[in-house]
Amino acid sequence: MIENSFNRRGFLKVLGWGGATVALSGCGNTSVEDGREFVTSYVQTADYIIPSIGTYFNSTCAQCDAGCGIMGRVREGRVLKLEGNPKSSINNGKMCGLGQAGVQAHYNPDRIREPLLRNGDKGEAIPWGKALELINEKIGGVKAENIAFLTGGVSGHVKALLKNYLDALGSGHHYVYEAVAPSIMRAANRKTYGVEMPRLRLDKAKVVVSFGADFLGAWISPVHFSQQYARFRKADNGERGVLVQVESKMTLTGANADRWLAIRPGTEGILALGLINALAAAGLSVPGDVAAVVREYTTDRVSKDTGVSAEHIGRLAALLKERSPSLVIAGSAAEGYAHGSQNATAIALLNQVLGNVGKTVEAPSSIPFPQMAPSTGNRFALQSLNDNMAQDKVKVLFSYGVNPVFTAPASMKLKENLKKVPFKVVFAHYMDETALEADLVLPLNSALEDWATVMPEYVAEGAQLNIQQPLMEKLYPGTLGMGDILLALLKQRRPDEYKGYEDFYSYLRSAMVSNKGALGGSTTDDDTFWDATLSHGVVKLVSTPVNMSGNVSAKGLVVPGPFAEDSAYPFHLIPAVSASLRDGRNANEPWLQESPDPLTTIVWDSWVEMHPKTAAKLGIVEGDIVEVASRSGAIKAQVYVFTGIHPDVISVPLGYGHEAMGRYAKGVGVNAFKILDPVFDKETGELAMHETRVKVSKAGRRVVIVKDEGPAGGNQMGRKIAVRVSSNKVNLSEEV
Amino acid sequence: MSITNLLENWSDFRQQHPSDDRPHREYKWAMSIDLDSCTGCNACSVACYAENNLPVVGKEKFAHGHSHHWIRIERYWDNDGREFADQGAQFLPMLCQHCESAPCETVCPVGATNHTADGLNSQVYNRCVGSRYCNANCPYKARYFNWYDYPTTDNVWPEPMNQQLNPDVTVRGKGVMEKCTFCVQRLTVAKSNARSAGRGVLDGEVQTACQQVCPTGAISFGNLVDPLAKVGKQWMTQQVELNKDKQAKDVKDVEEKAAKLRGYRILEELRTYPSVMYLEQLRESAI
Repeated sequence: MIENSFNRRGFLKVLGWGGATVALSGCGNTSVEDGREFVTSYVQTADYIIPSIGTYFNSTCAQCDAGCGIMGRVREGRVLKLEGNPKSSINNGKMCGLGQAGVQAHYNPDRIREPLLRNGDKGEAIPWGKALELINEKIGGVKAENIAFLTGGVSGHVKALLKNYLDALGSGHHYVYEAVAPSIMRAANRKTYGVEMPRLRLDKAKVVVSFGADFLGAWISPVHFSQQYARFRKADNGERGVLVQVESKMTLTGANADRWLAIRPGTEGILALGLINALAAAGLSVPGDVAAVVREYTTDRVSKDTGVSAEHIGRLAALLKERSPSLVIAGSAAEGYAHGSQNATAIALLNQVLGNVGKTVEAPSSIPFPQMAPSTGNRFALQSLNDNMAQDKVKVLFSYGVNPVFTAPASMKLKENLKKVPFKVVFAHYMDETALEADLVLPLNSALEDWATVMPEYVAEGAQLNIQQPLMEKLYPGTLGMGDILLALLKQRRPDEYKGYEDFYSYLRSAMVSNKGALGGSTTDDDTFWDATLSHGVVKLVSTPVNMSGNVSAKGLVVPGPFAEDSAYPFHLIPAVSASLRDGRNANEPWLQESPDPLTTIVWDSWVEMHPKTAAKLGIVEGDIVEVASRSGAIKAQVYVFTGIHPDVISVPLGYGHEAMGRYAKGVGVNAFKILDPVFDKETGELAMHETRVKVSKAGRRVVIVKDEGPAGGNQMGRKIAVRVSSNKVNLSEEV
Repeated sequence: MSITNLLENWSDFRQQHPSDDRPHREYKWAMSIDLDSCTGCNACSVACYAENNLPVVGKEKFAHGHSHHWIRIERYWDNDGREFADQGAQFLPMLCQHCESAPCETVCPVGATNHTADGLNSQVYNRCVGSRYCNANCPYKARYFNWYDYPTTDNVWPEPMNQQLNPDVTVRGKGVMEKCTFCVQRLTVAKSNARSAGRGVLDGEVQTACQQVCPTGAISFGNLVDPLAKVGKQWMTQQVELNKDKQAKDVKDVEEKAAKLRGYRILEELRTYPSVMYLEQLRESAI
């Protein structure tokens, strides 16, 4: 095997010199001769390597937080492709496009390759030793309360080390921030069910009504839900589940619904209560206090408020009554509005009345190692950090796994407040918007060359710990894993406790092996246990279902009426979370940029979605560049006109519009995060993502949209290419 | 060759598998795609990029129609004049249909595209001269031409992204036509392994990249000759026959209103005899 970039010419040089090399050794003619590179014969390859045969190693996907198990195909020391790990109960051997692009995060040409220290406007490469010493010195000079650690969702041993480091510093300021997390739903679930993340069993439901939850695209654990969806659509007995999606802007899930109901934004809670009323009228037994609350939500009134026709409300109520169990899910209807928590509670009440709790809404399992349980994030955490920075309370800031300069709305003035922090350390893969603001940038290993353990927030069955292991040698000697960095930092503070661990790998192995009894390895010796763990990639943990309360009270439930018209800003802006780009962290992976958006088929740019009626009213046609202005800012992008959106709504995808990060992300599209208005959910204080009101005006130019669909715009022109039939015409139980 | 001769001796000029006197022997690779399970998520397309060394062409070349997605998701709307797309979209993964009587094969001036004994429509890259007749003749628009030399084009595979390239698959140069191969590199390995073990390839032993990744399992792939293969059972249940241009369903639809079949092949009336069967998307009428 030839290591490093030993090229053909170099190889011929060695051959050409032949015997002369013996005499000339030490003269430095080739890198092989003076020992900087070496040639290994195939006769003595590393374990498992057979030239031209791929070997698979299990690990965990880090492209989003779902924690799917992956198998990396490794050939001649390079990881080539990722497949799903069939042993993981989350994804059972399947993957999504975002996960597939994980190799492009690893081999990305724009990765940072060595630690960079700010010197004026430039970053100066420094060795790791100096970087870590600098951190030690800066931390020594400030009070513990002035140190802040900002991270994305973390779990597993990295989280445990992080906590130990913060304890060692004597500071508890760990801010966990996720830009597009379902945090209002988590809070609402905690209130109604006593758990943040109950298990949803689409596969057991006969009807699924989703209020804007894009569970097939970008919501929580899409690959897992997609598999459940397949069983829901084609149950063993041949019964086909019915999906009804209620939302103001069509998501991928909405595009797969039997009935997609365009609802006036923010009125989802009203529809939920109206459905309870209609169900009560149809004879479903409804508790007295609930019946009293919903009595005034007559179908006529609900239809008028929500824009959903009385006919559809009636049919939906009839369907829910007739086919049980069903499942009602609150997605963006809860996340979006200042009354999001109320919407979520109303939707949970509907689930309760339908008797779904315990049937299709199941209790999750307890997590045996709470110190490794996932810390989920919210936007409120960023707000607190921002306030503290504004008041000069933060002297040293660490940032890991987030890009707040990109994802924070402009109204937060986060970038300005960051400048008040004297020393900012950013752990990063790319020079993204946040890394550009840092004083010290520490380059991380890619997820395919790093050790970690991951405990996903949503696990399908039981509790499990995922192993993330290197699938190949590091591409760059100058990068380091987060676990290794934390260990090095801990050695500065608590040398006696951690000096025994040479690196994070030895820490991880020792931590796992010493707990092997609880990790299913009580009867095996250490080496066998460890090898089996790495080989499986997932460790099943012994756990029991937690108690879930299922008594939603209608007491105090008030769902506000529809929004008042706003003549200055007549449209609601829905920032769309796409399956590929999510919050923008993967924008520098070209496969994702060139993967057409499923609904619009647009590539390599942002767009503004608009209903044909709205477009006609404004005199806009497809391709017009428009300015979308909110009270907090304005963006310009091309218009795409289609009928999967409510006429009162304008939608712009998130994740585009990077000003830095890399060649594939920079300058592509516009950043819709920036123009979000600071409106918050009243109960949780979370940013209400759909509350921004905007006005739209033509900016003069028109472009030809770069997209995959042809000029017919999705019309089959009478040809039978994609065919649709009514489900009562076929019998799925007779199919293979 | 006169047109009379061509028409009279049509079957001599068109390869049509299987015929009664020359059936497929060991293998006939075929696929079925359930459009009621397909969610249009695009995972198959990205997996194909990863497996088959497809170049990312960028915005400008994409606008010129130079994209290379061997499997792409076509998205159709069926609004019928209604205000909203209230029954969602119709997604259809479109790939080379590996036609048994492929219009692309007969027009190739150099025989670069031809039929294999396994029933694959194969493309021999080093024989292709880039006439693009095949592309013009493909009714499915499933062929992609290398207008540029992508390996040397900026930012297609910049160092170290070239290290991701699959060594089992050729990196195509300028002037060459390419298309879906049913992951022939995986088929070759599976066949070779099976032969070493003295048996045929078992069902499920080989998966195409798109099938392997599909989160809803909408894609089945296998050997139509194998009576145990799922794909063959699906074709049989749907009464879709490879060498017919009109299936039981088409007849039944007319005769009895409630035909329970939903398998069909796209543009079958062109007598291309595709190897990909689609299952119709379903929609509930009660809502």
